Amino acid sequence: MTAPVTLERIGHSFGSLRALDDITLDIAAGEYITLLGPSGCGKTTLLSVLGGFLTPDAGRVLIGGEDMTRVPAVRRPTATTFQDYALFPHMTLRDNVAFGLRMAGVGRRDRRARADQKLDMVGLLAQADAHPHALSGGQRQRVALARALAVEPDVLLLDEPLGALDLKLRRAMQDELKAIQREVGTTFVHVTHDQEEALAIADRIVVMNAGRIEDAGAPARIYRQPASLFAAEFMGETNRFSGRGTGGRIETPFGAVDRPPPAEGPLTLCLRPEAVRPREAAAQGSLAIGPSRVRDAAFFGTHCRAHLTPDAAPDLLLVAHLPAVDPPAPGAVLDLAAETADLAAFAATG
Amino acid sequence: MTRTLLPLVYGSAAFVFIYLPVAALVLFSFQDGTLPVPPFEGPSLRWYADVLADDDLTAALLNSLGVALLSASVAVTLGFTAAYGLARHRLPGTALLRALLIAPLTVSYLIVGLGLLIVLQRIGIGLSLWTAGIGHVVINLPLCFAIIYASMGAQNVNAERAARDLGAREAQVVLLVTVPMLAPAILAAFFLSITLSWDEFIIAFLLTRFDVTLPVEIWSMLRSGLSPRLNAIGSLVFLVSVTAVILLELVVFRRRS
Repeated sequence: MTAPVTLERIGHSFGSLRALDDITLDIAAGEYITLLGPSGCGKTTLLSVLGGFLTPDAGRVLIGGEDMTRVPAVRRPTATTFQDYALFPHMTLRDNVAFGLRMAGVGRRDRRARADQKLDMVGLLAQADAHPHALSGGQRQRVALARALAVEPDVLLLDEPLGALDLKLRRAMQDELKAIQREVGTTFVHVTHDQEEALAIADRIVVMNAGRIEDAGAPARIYRQPASLFAAEFMGETNRFSGRGTGGRIETPFGAVDRPPPAEGPLTLCLRPEAVRPREAAAQGSLAIGPSRVRDAAFFGTHCRAHLTPDAAPDLLLVAHLPAVDPPAPGAVLDLAAETADLAAFAATG
Repeated sequence: MTRTLLPLVYGSAAFVFIYLPVAALVLFSFQDGTLPVPPFEGPSLRWYADVLADDDLTAALLNSLGVALLSASVAVTLGFTAAYGLARHRLPGTALLRALLIAPLTVSYLIVGLGLLIVLQRIGIGLSLWTAGIGHVVINLPLCFAIIYASMGAQNVNAERAARDLGAREAQVVLLVTVPMLAPAILAAFFLSITLSWDEFIIAFLLTRFDVTLPVEIWSMLRSGLSPRLNAIGSLVFLVSVTAVILLELVVFRRRS
């Protein structure tokens, strides 16, 4: 089961702290959304509002077209997985997964069959009679997921589902989450502070900061052309430098780019390290950075990470992810270029 | 040599100091003579037979068991609901309420007993096992509250939220999630209340009249002098307390590991 979600001008304060400020967001049925942001940005508060654990001071929550703003969690078509999994330690995995069905009055035999089916989906049917304390973190997360999906919610809310797992397991689980979401078709709203996780898993990423939505869109667009400087910096490492908007063009220290600037006057420009490449590898029409002197370089496996000073802007220290060949020696001069499509420009503030 | 010997001697001395009175009590309950003093003659079970044949004593024993079970149940129930309310809801003056609930721990049993006695006589309620039970609830409630409140952690909060999220009504949340998760603390509070009520003398003495609890019965027998009968009763009382402690150990602490 699945349903669209609409948030209309949600606002909420904790004392003097503005936790959510005028949040408006449409989520399509069956979409995989991640709410991404640093801790304290309001993403978990927003999830609580969606789950019915918190009634916002202002705004409306619509799930499947119905106003759910004041409906408590118990009567919402949502299910939540909690950061600490919140499994019931005194129940077997099967009883944990069947709990929601038991509350809905499903008969013992039927709910056992349905719980087993969900446990099978997450690969834990063999341990159905075990208790949660016998499981590893990744397995507990799977049980929490099975328990939430067993009630066949329209919307599944995941609060930092992979936050407590080690990196390798996290990457494996995120593929699994995505596959499960495809299979059940439920709308997933997933809160995380890990931008790689968000990029890998989401149909659409919502970047939040200080209670507001900074940017919302497809992962590739958010990464390459973020809507705000905050989103640009939060999504990954970036080279930041000054430019100018004049006469409908963006002027950079390396020459002009023929693209309408976001504003006339001073601009802040951002360029991802991997958008900087050797000139011979760059496409036609890229922005020529020109000869640049290598300060240092290190081999990272997938790429070489180098700090370079371009002759065209000697005050600048560019970080570049160059193809993974032998790292260039310090002092070497490389001819660089950057894809203009990867150059993000924002009106300079302050 | 002295390094291993000294702690051994010290440890043995400490345990002898603690358990010698109990051991003497139990030993002379098997005395064949009429005085529980050395030399030991026996063993004999005649005093146990005597005790169990005594209707007043067996009645007092059953009274004590009833008061202990009932007052412990009430104290645990009230302690749990108070702890749940204060841990899960923001109330005005939470800290004050908490302090008021725990404060009776610092009041001596004599004062609690006297206070209750005055109040009961004022409002014209006759003394009985029920009033002694009320006294035991008064002294055990703060303990039950403190034990259960201390174990209501954040882990339980999310499990309760999860249960609500999955469609559980409030009563179901408490009965199916909160109580089972807190079972070790609740059982610990229950068994502790039972042993405290079982051994309690002053309040029971002040608040009972015709039907009395075992400690009060023993006290009235003591006035007619020493007898191995008392040792036999004391041993039985000790046996019940030990059983409660062993049950606590088996049911509560075994589950944790």
